[in-house]
Amino acid sequence: MGILENLYKMTAIQDFINNPGYLLMLAIGSFLLYLGIRKQYEPLLLVPIAFGVILANLPGGGMGVVSADLINLDADGHHTKNLLEIAKDHGIMNFLYYSLIKTGFLPPIIFMGIGALTDFGPMLRNLRLAFFGAAAQLGIFIVLISAIALGFTAKEAASLGIIGGADGPTAIYTTIKLAPHLLGPIAIAAYSYMALVPVIIPLVVKYTCSKKELLINMKEMDKKYPSTLKIKNLRAVKIAFPIVLGIVVSIFVPSSVPLLGMLLFGNLVKEIGVNVARLTEAATGSILNTATIFLGLTVGATMTADVFLDFKTIMIVVGGFLAFAVSIFGGIVGVKITNLFVKKKINPLCGATGLSAVPMASRVANDIALKYDSSNHILQYCMSSNISGVIGSAVAAGVLISFLQ
Amino acid sequence: MNEMGIALELLGVGMVTVFVILSLVVILGDLIIRFVNRFMPEIEKAPVVKNTTSGSEINSKKMAAIVAAVSKITNGAGRVANIEKL
Repeated sequence: MGILENLYKMTAIQDFINNPGYLLMLAIGSFLLYLGIRKQYEPLLLVPIAFGVILANLPGGGMGVVSADLINLDADGHHTKNLLEIAKDHGIMNFLYYSLIKTGFLPPIIFMGIGALTDFGPMLRNLRLAFFGAAAQLGIFIVLISAIALGFTAKEAASLGIIGGADGPTAIYTTIKLAPHLLGPIAIAAYSYMALVPVIIPLVVKYTCSKKELLINMKEMDKKYPSTLKIKNLRAVKIAFPIVLGIVVSIFVPSSVPLLGMLLFGNLVKEIGVNVARLTEAATGSILNTATIFLGLTVGATMTADVFLDFKTIMIVVGGFLAFAVSIFGGIVGVKITNLFVKKKINPLCGATGLSAVPMASRVANDIALKYDSSNHILQYCMSSNISGVIGSAVAAGVLISFLQ
Repeated sequence: MNEMGIALELLGVGMVTVFVILSLVVILGDLIIRFVNRFMPEIEKAPVVKNTTSGSEINSKKMAAIVAAVSKITNGAGRVANIEKL
């Protein structure tokens, strides 16, 4: 009988009975896995995040990320346990979280990889469309105000609002800096809504754009009003651009440098080409993939039952959707206002892609344009505002961090 | 209410900053293009292709694909000088 009792104590059955929230979290983790595997919603990130949720909610496994209160050695958090102590007291997942995530290390590393995968060419060819990457950051700040009205603190509201930037690493980086206790739900909301861009953009466009506006043919506009500035050496422009932009932006918004600087470095090595091909390969291959695995697992592991099953999580899910929708609306309104003053009209879909979510947002916008006019290929135009949206959201994050941290 | 004041301030400062930075992106991009066009315009070089194979074993479509692949991989720096069948 004693042996059976010991065997029972060894299992996690009693923990599940004492706290059924674990079972609910396992169900949520499994549902996220289903979305990632079956529905292919951002599988590269959703699968590690979902599995991290499952690992964190296996009682006795010691894989859940613990509150910073258990890591801090004093009340103000200036003195913390060292990494060896964290690993010994709280397990490897906490070691990974506090060394790679809490330090803000992984999001800029991922941004480096994204930079090395990004082509600024479409933006440089259609520079005037880059403005709409700014208009489409409206959702960040509108949701920030709404969240404060609903009782969130300014730091929490900013972390919620940044979901509207539609940029996973930016959302995670901002949340780490401002409201790390909300990291799990915010990362989930950001990546889930990025996966739902093919649903959200058509929805917002349906209620805000007329058929006449969606029929604006960008190539015909280009023929009618040709650009006076042709690029004679695109490679040289592409190499100079990240260097000059990085320096200038760092002067105005220094807090955006960890994200933007790494993005531009990644892009520079890509544009240099064969001479540094090994660096590009590493940035887009082994480093990006390793960073993605650790980011996903550790972010998922922050979602333990006691943290995730909270009213704020529901608010984050709702707020995240609003942030996305308002950002798309902001971009569209930006185009509509511009069209009032220019002869060379712009298809409002080029504004809708001003939020990041590269390149999915552009593909979705292109599909919508083709539905109305099968000759209206606007992908390269949408990519302009789409790429500038990445810069815009990183800058917005920098502003939020420098104001609120 | 104090937090709401901060939020409204952030709305103003944030949107203005994002617009200013993306305006800079546009201006800098424009300036860089003008500078490069003036001082470093690309010299168009026709690819020198010497086909050592006898007859027309490599047709024009294959040739175009090879030239495009080399140009893409080398970012326009490489040229196809010779194509040989092994």
